[in-house]
Amino acid sequence: MLEVDGLKKRYGDKVALDGVSLTVRPGEMYGFVGANGAGKTTTMRIVMGVLASDGGEVRWKGAPAGFETRRRFGYMPEERGLYAKMRVGEQVEYFGRLGGMDAPAARRSADALIERLGLTDRRGDEVAGLSLGNQQRVQLAVALIHEPELLVLDEPFSGLDPIAVDALAGVLAERTAAGVAVVFSSHQLDLVERLCDAVGIIKDGRMIAGGTVAELRARESRKRLRIVVTGAEPGWADRLPGEIVAKNDRPPQGDPAGPDGDQRYDEVILRPSDDQEALLLAARAGRVQHFGWQEPSLAEIFREVVA
Amino acid sequence: MNAISLVARREITVRSRTKGYRYGLVVTAILVAVLAALPKLLGGGSDYTVGLVGPQADRLQAALSAQAAHGDDLTIKITRFADEAAARRAVANDDVEVAVVDNATVVSKTVVSQTLSAILDTAHRMVATEENLTSAGLDPAKVGAAQQVRPMTELTLNGSGEDATIRRVIAMTIVVILFMLLIQICTWVAMGVVEEKGSRIVEILLTSVRPWQLLAGKTIGLGVLGLSQLIVIAVVGLAAAQLTGAVPQLPDGTYGVVATTIVWFLLGYAFYAAMFAAIASLVSRQEDLSGVLTPATMLLMASYLVGFVAAQSPDGPLTHALSIIPPFSAMVMPVRAAVVAVPLWETALAMGLMLLAAVAILFVGGRIYQRAVLRTGARVRWREAFGSAS
Repeated sequence: MLEVDGLKKRYGDKVALDGVSLTVRPGEMYGFVGANGAGKTTTMRIVMGVLASDGGEVRWKGAPAGFETRRRFGYMPEERGLYAKMRVGEQVEYFGRLGGMDAPAARRSADALIERLGLTDRRGDEVAGLSLGNQQRVQLAVALIHEPELLVLDEPFSGLDPIAVDALAGVLAERTAAGVAVVFSSHQLDLVERLCDAVGIIKDGRMIAGGTVAELRARESRKRLRIVVTGAEPGWADRLPGEIVAKNDRPPQGDPAGPDGDQRYDEVILRPSDDQEALLLAARAGRVQHFGWQEPSLAEIFREVVA
Repeated sequence: MNAISLVARREITVRSRTKGYRYGLVVTAILVAVLAALPKLLGGGSDYTVGLVGPQADRLQAALSAQAAHGDDLTIKITRFADEAAARRAVANDDVEVAVVDNATVVSKTVVSQTLSAILDTAHRMVATEENLTSAGLDPAKVGAAQQVRPMTELTLNGSGEDATIRRVIAMTIVVILFMLLIQICTWVAMGVVEEKGSRIVEILLTSVRPWQLLAGKTIGLGVLGLSQLIVIAVVGLAAAQLTGAVPQLPDGTYGVVATTIVWFLLGYAFYAAMFAAIASLVSRQEDLSGVLTPATMLLMASYLVGFVAAQSPDGPLTHALSIIPPFSAMVMPVRAAVVAVPLWETALAMGLMLLAAVAILFVGGRIYQRAVLRTGARVRWREAFGSAS
């Protein structure tokens, strides 16, 4: 289990991290989200030991993480780094050897990874000659080669096409199924929502929300009502108690809750001050096609908490 | 240690695969082979053709043959002509280089080479003296015996000065090779440091390797390449000298000079590689490299120039002092040792001081590297690099 406990870091006068804490369990995929400059990369670099913190602690399996511990971590930095003049296979093997594998083990592991990532026919090519997507795959192979117990990936999905995203997601899912703890940062919140067991949201160097996606949702749900009414008089919605977040009077194509004939259609997203009062009003205004709490997406939760 | 050897092996594999390295090695080897064969091609292998005319031709031929028998690599082919006109035609047609007419006139197409001129002059004097003494009534046999003079033995107090020119050539070759190798390999070290820092691959490396291991592996790997290049140069050079038969002309102790040059290369390399690596770790882009490296390159250039001066005046007070003072000693001492005999204690002192300097710069450079290599972006200032560890 990775425990990041109260990390602090300043660059001159600027506070980059102000007590960042998070926990990643074995077999857990942890999504680390936050605006640019919020402190994701700084946190990850401190976890990997390439940056010293001004305070706080990084623990792995309960003990402070030192150099030997970190050799069992796999890392993909924000700005990709590979030896341009080295061939794919030998580069991946090299990092396996540096990670403590003997030559045959590194070779086996490299072969398996290269095949899994669809790079077999590029094995003997120099990295400089690969497309960016393929370079990213090599980068991931470099992070995975020594079978790390923890993976720290900074924006692993950025710049990838959907097929490459699926390939990478598949590999990560295999690793977590094998008990590896994975933490990655991303701006693609739909992806984080789909892949991650737990999410942490960081803002200005502080963790402002964290937990499983379901927990976050539970905390943020029962805040917005989605109400669909047909056949109401115009302006009825203005009397609804609370704050109207969004309004739509055009029925979606093929929506089963759509209008009968040429009746008026109203869809309202409401942050209600009194949900029962809202129900009564809607029922009086017209025919209620839909009335229920809206499940927020991670992107909506993110906007909500970061705003 | 395992990490260091892994890093070193990577440097060797990747670098030795580049075209630049391979062509460089071949070109250097050819260059050295030509250089080693040069004395033989230019000075050695003296073959002369001489035409003789006149009554004293027999005795001149004997005198010339005697000289050819004494000289190393000296052959004189003699052709006899019936008269002066025939001899002149032969010279004009390049059948012979020179013709001696009546032991009085030398006929040649252009200016006679100094060596040949001296040979002819000696023969002329011998024959003429003999003639004069015989006509003065002396026994020709006694005169002949009296002409047999043993050549003088040369004894040089300061080393063996007999082959000063060859020694200078060897010394200058050493300076050029040391300089070229040092600047080439140290530049590779610097470029490698920037490559890793600029591409951020160093962030991944440093999660499994410690900074000093990375630096040591890189320096050792490229150093091994440099050393192998030096050994190729030495072997090719000596082999070429052997094949062309120039070895007998090599001064005593040449092998010793070659061996100590290798030691000096290693010392100089340790010093400059650490310096270049530390400086390179301050910048993140290859474009910024030559700028920050200027002071270090200048120092190496200065050593090179001083080394050249040393080859010319190996006993000057400046040469003497700089052959002891690091880092100049790395280039001046092997040059000095190639030309004159250097007392053992001076060599030992110079090597000891250079070793100390190299260790000091390895220590300081290692610390700077450790501190600066993860600081990407703007150039790291010297004060920050020297400051206390974060």
